[in-house]
Amino acid sequence: MSRVHVTCTINGDPAEFLCDGGQTLLDALRDEVGLTGAKEGCGTGDCGACSIVMDGRLLCSCLVLAPEADGRNISTVEGMATGDDLHPLQQCFLEGAALQCGVCTPGFLVAAKALLDRNPDPTETEIRYGLAGNLCRCTGYDKIVRAVQAAAETINES
Amino acid sequence: MAVRVHLSSNLRGPTGGVAEVEADGSTVGALIDDLDRRYPGLGDALRAGVSVVIDGLLIAHPEYEPLADGAQVYFVPQTAGG
Amino acid sequence: MTVTESKPSYKYVGTRPVRHDGLEKVTGRARFAADLNMSGQLHGIVVRSPHAHARIVSIDTSDAEAMDGVKAVITGDDFPAVDPSHRQYDMCINVIARDKVLYEGHAVAAVAASTRDQAQAAAAAVKVEYEVLPAVLTIDQAMAPGAPLLHAHMMTAGANPPAEEPSNISNVTRFSGGELDAGFAEADLVIEREFTTQPVHQGYIEPHACVADTGQDGHTTIWCSSQGHFNVRSSTATLLGWENSRIRVIPAEIGGGFGGKTTIYLEPLAVALSAKAGRPVKMVMTRDEVFRATGPAPGTKLRIKLGVKSDGDLVAGDAYLIYTNGAYAGPGGLLGAMTVFESYKIPNFEIEALDVVINTARSAAYRAPAAPLTAYAMETMLDEIAEELGIDPIDFRIQNAVTEGDPSTMGFPFARIGFVECLEAVRDHPNYKAPLGPNQGRGVAAGYWFNIGESSSATVNLNEDGTATVVTGSPDIGGSRASMALMAAEELGIDVYDIRPVVGDTEAVGFTDVTEGSRATFATGMAVVEACRRMVVELRGRAAKMMGVDVDDIDWMDGQAVYTGSDGEKAPLSVAEITAKAKRTGGPLTATGSLEAHGAGPGFAVHLCDLEVDPETGVVRVVRYTASQDAGTAIHPSYVEGQIQGGVAQGVGWALNEEYIYDSDGVMENPSFLDYRVPVASDLPMIDAIIVEVPNPAHPYGVRGVGETGIVPPIPAVANAIYDATGCRIRDLPMSPIRVLDAITSNGGSNGS
Repeated sequence: MSRVHVTCTINGDPAEFLCDGGQTLLDALRDEVGLTGAKEGCGTGDCGACSIVMDGRLLCSCLVLAPEADGRNISTVEGMATGDDLHPLQQCFLEGAALQCGVCTPGFLVAAKALLDRNPDPTETEIRYGLAGNLCRCTGYDKIVRAVQAAAETINES
Repeated sequence: MAVRVHLSSNLRGPTGGVAEVEADGSTVGALIDDLDRRYPGLGDALRAGVSVVIDGLLIAHPEYEPLADGAQVYFVPQTAGG
Repeated sequence: MTVTESKPSYKYVGTRPVRHDGLEKVTGRARFAADLNMSGQLHGIVVRSPHAHARIVSIDTSDAEAMDGVKAVITGDDFPAVDPSHRQYDMCINVIARDKVLYEGHAVAAVAASTRDQAQAAAAAVKVEYEVLPAVLTIDQAMAPGAPLLHAHMMTAGANPPAEEPSNISNVTRFSGGELDAGFAEADLVIEREFTTQPVHQGYIEPHACVADTGQDGHTTIWCSSQGHFNVRSSTATLLGWENSRIRVIPAEIGGGFGGKTTIYLEPLAVALSAKAGRPVKMVMTRDEVFRATGPAPGTKLRIKLGVKSDGDLVAGDAYLIYTNGAYAGPGGLLGAMTVFESYKIPNFEIEALDVVINTARSAAYRAPAAPLTAYAMETMLDEIAEELGIDPIDFRIQNAVTEGDPSTMGFPFARIGFVECLEAVRDHPNYKAPLGPNQGRGVAAGYWFNIGESSSATVNLNEDGTATVVTGSPDIGGSRASMALMAAEELGIDVYDIRPVVGDTEAVGFTDVTEGSRATFATGMAVVEACRRMVVELRGRAAKMMGVDVDDIDWMDGQAVYTGSDGEKAPLSVAEITAKAKRTGGPLTATGSLEAHGAGPGFAVHLCDLEVDPETGVVRVVRYTASQDAGTAIHPSYVEGQIQGGVAQGVGWALNEEYIYDSDGVMENPSFLDYRVPVASDLPMIDAIIVEVPNPAHPYGVRGVGETGIVPPIPAVANAIYDATGCRIRDLPMSPIRVLDAITSNGGSNGS
C-alpha cells in the first residue's frame, strides 16, 4: 500500500511524515514523528489523553486521520514550554501536585491551554466543563482544577 | 518458651473450636511444630498463608521470628491489597 | 490539616517539594510502556474468545502463519502444562487458555507481525473451533444445584465438613466471636438488610503494554508498565517454565494501576512471540481488551443483620457475604469477612463468606479489595440505626469505634489507631453543620483497610559532588519517588532536590514486592531509611579518618559530620567534603537497606458527602465533599491528599455509575469509557482532604499506607446522602439515575427501609 505524504507544522516547526491512509493522527505523531507525549487511553475519543490542538481547535488526535493534518498547524504537549521556560500551566501542575501517575497529564495540559487561550479567566465550573473531555483516574480532579486556576492567575498577572 | 496462642476463628478446627491455647517454641516456626503435635492438622493450617501479630506488630512471614517467654501470639489470615 | 498527636519537627518530611519525576511528566517526555520502541520490533496481538464458556476443540494457525509480515503465532500449546495444584495455576491459564475458555475475552492465541495491521489481520485468521458450553453469569446461577462447573477440580476450600463434590464455590471463610444468639437476645433493635453490587473496573487510563526482547541466548528483557516488576519476572518465568535469571524486567512509567497491575496478562505472550520470532515484540492492549480481559473488582451479594441496644451499643452482627471473583478463585470473600465488622466493637458476631466463580473476567485487586462493598452494607445500616435511635451518626460511630487494645475480628488487639480522631475531624469540620439546599442530602460513612508490609529494597549511592541517588524497587504510581527523597533527605541532611530517586530494574536493585496494599511509602520507605542510616555510619567513619579522630567522637547532625570529642575544635565535614575524598578514605559511598516490613498500621477514613438529587431525572450531583484519613505521618502531604481525593472520585463513580453489563451470553456490553462512565471533572466538586496524623509506632516516621482506604467510605457516604435527600435507601449498585428515580417514584419519597 502506498503511503501518504503529509506536510504540516508541528509545534511551530515545519514537519513532514509518511503515513497510511487509515492511520490516526495520534499514531502518526507517536510512531512516524516520534512525539509520544500524546497517549492512547481509549482510541475512541472518550478519555482525552491524546488531546492536541489543530488550527486552534482542541481535538482528540485518535479521532483524526493522519492525512487530514496536511497543511495544518498542530500543537502538542511537547511544544508547550518555551526553551527552558515552562508554560505557567506546566509550572502550576508541578507546584500544585496536579498529577499522580502522569499519563493523562499531557492531555490535560493541552486541553487546559486551549481553555485558557479561549477564556483567560474561567470560573471553577467553566474549568470543570472545559476539562470534562479528559479523564483522570488518580487525582479526583481537585488539584488539576486548582492548578488551572493558579495558572490563569499567573498568566493574567503577567 | 511458654507462649499464649490466639487463633482467629477460622483456624480453630483442629482445637475443637478453642480460641486460646498454650504451646512452646523459641520461634514461631517451632511454636507451629509444637501446636501441630498438640493439635494434629493445625500445623498445615498455620503454614498455609497465615500471618501473626506479636506485640501489636503484624508479621507476614513469621517462621523464624523469635518468641519471648510469655509472649502473646495471634495467628490471623494473610491479607492482600491493591 | 489536623495534627492529632505531637510529632518531632522535621526539616523535609511533611514538606511539599515538586516531585522529582514531575518535569518529565508535564513535558511529555516521561516514557510509559507504550512509548517505548525497540529496533526491529514486531507488533503482537492477542486472539480472544468470543464465548463466555467453551471447550477449545482445535486451533488452526496455518492461514495466519502464511500471511504477509507474520513472524510468529503461539497458542497455549507453546507453554508448559501447569498442574491445577500449582500456586499460580489460575494466573497461568488466565494469561493463555489451555483446554477451555472461561470468559469472553480470554486469550487463546497470539500473533506477531511486522505491523500492527498485519498482526490484526493474522489474528483474525487464526481459526479456533469451540464447543460452546452453558455459561454461568451470576452468583445465583453459579450456586444453583446442577450448575455447569467452570473448574472440574474445584473443591470448596475451608468447607467444614470438607466438600465431597466439586462446585463453583471456591472457598468459604468463617469468623465468629462471642455468642451470636445471646447477643441478638440482648438487642433492643435488630435490622437485617441485603445488598447487591456489580463488578467495576479500576479504570487506569494507561492500557496494559509491554515490549519483550528475547535474545538467541535464551535471555529476555521486558519493558512494561506494572505495579511490580519483580512479580512480572517471577510470574512470567512460571508461565514459561524458565528460571527467573533469564528474565530482566525494566519498569516503564506506570499510568495508573489501583491494584489492576499487580498481576500480568501480556508479558509471557510477548516473550514467547519474541523467542519464536527472534525479534523484539511490542504488545499494547486496546481499551476494549482492558475492559473485557483485565481486572474487574468483584460483584457481591451481601446480607447483614445487626443488633443494637437502645443506648447505642452494638451487641451482635451476623454477615453472609458472597463475592464473585470472575472465573477463578479469589480473595474477595476472605477480605470481605476480615473487614465487615473490623471497625466496630461488636462482641457477638458470626461471618460467613463465600467466593464463587462465574464466566466473567478474572477479578484483580482494586484498592482496598472487597472493603468498599462491606462498608456499603455496614455503614448504610449504621446510618439507619443511628436515625432510629435518634443518635448523631458520628457520635454513634464514636461510641462503637475500635480504639487501641480493642480486639479485631481476627482476635488480635489493635495497636494505636486513628479512627476516632478521623470521626472527630469530620464532626468538627464546618461542612458537618453547613446548611443544605433543596433536594440536597448529607451522608457520613467510615472505612477501614489493613495495609500491608512485605519486602522492599533500597540502595543509596552518594555521588562525587555530595548529592545522592536513591534506588528502590517500587514503581511510582502516585508520587512515591518524592516520598523516598524526603525520607532520605531527612536522614542524610541533604537537600531534597539534591537527591535523585530512581526506580531500579530487576537487575539494578534488590527484590521488592509489588506496589500494593498501600505499602510503598511505608515499607520501601523503611528500606530507604535503613540504607540511609547505614550510610550515615559509613560517613561518620570516613569523617573520622579525615579528621584523624575516633569514630565514636563523630555525630551526624544536619548533613554534617560534627566532632564532639574533647581534643579541640575541628571544622565539621559536609557530605560533599566527604564524598570528594572518598577515593582516599575507602572508595565509593554506597549503602543498601533490604527488609521485610513488619507492622503496617491500619488506615481509617471518614467521609462526608453532600449531594443533590434531581427529583425529575434521578441524577445525583455531589456538591461538597470532605474526607479525613489517618496517614500516620504525611511524608508529602500533597500526595497524601491526592490519594484521598482520588479514592473519593473512584468511590463516587462506583456508587453512582460504574458497572459491568453483560448480555445473556456473557458478552460485555459496555467495554468503553463512553458506556462505562467514570467521573469527569464536571461531575465532582473540590474534595476537602483532612490529613489526620496518628503515627504508626512501627515506622521510623510513623507512616501508615494511604493509597487504599480512601476508596472505602464513598459508596455508603453517597448512599446515606441520597437517603437524606430522598428518603430512599438504595441497596443495589450503582445508584444510577434510573435506579434513583425508580426508588423515588415507587416509594413516593418515604423511608424505603
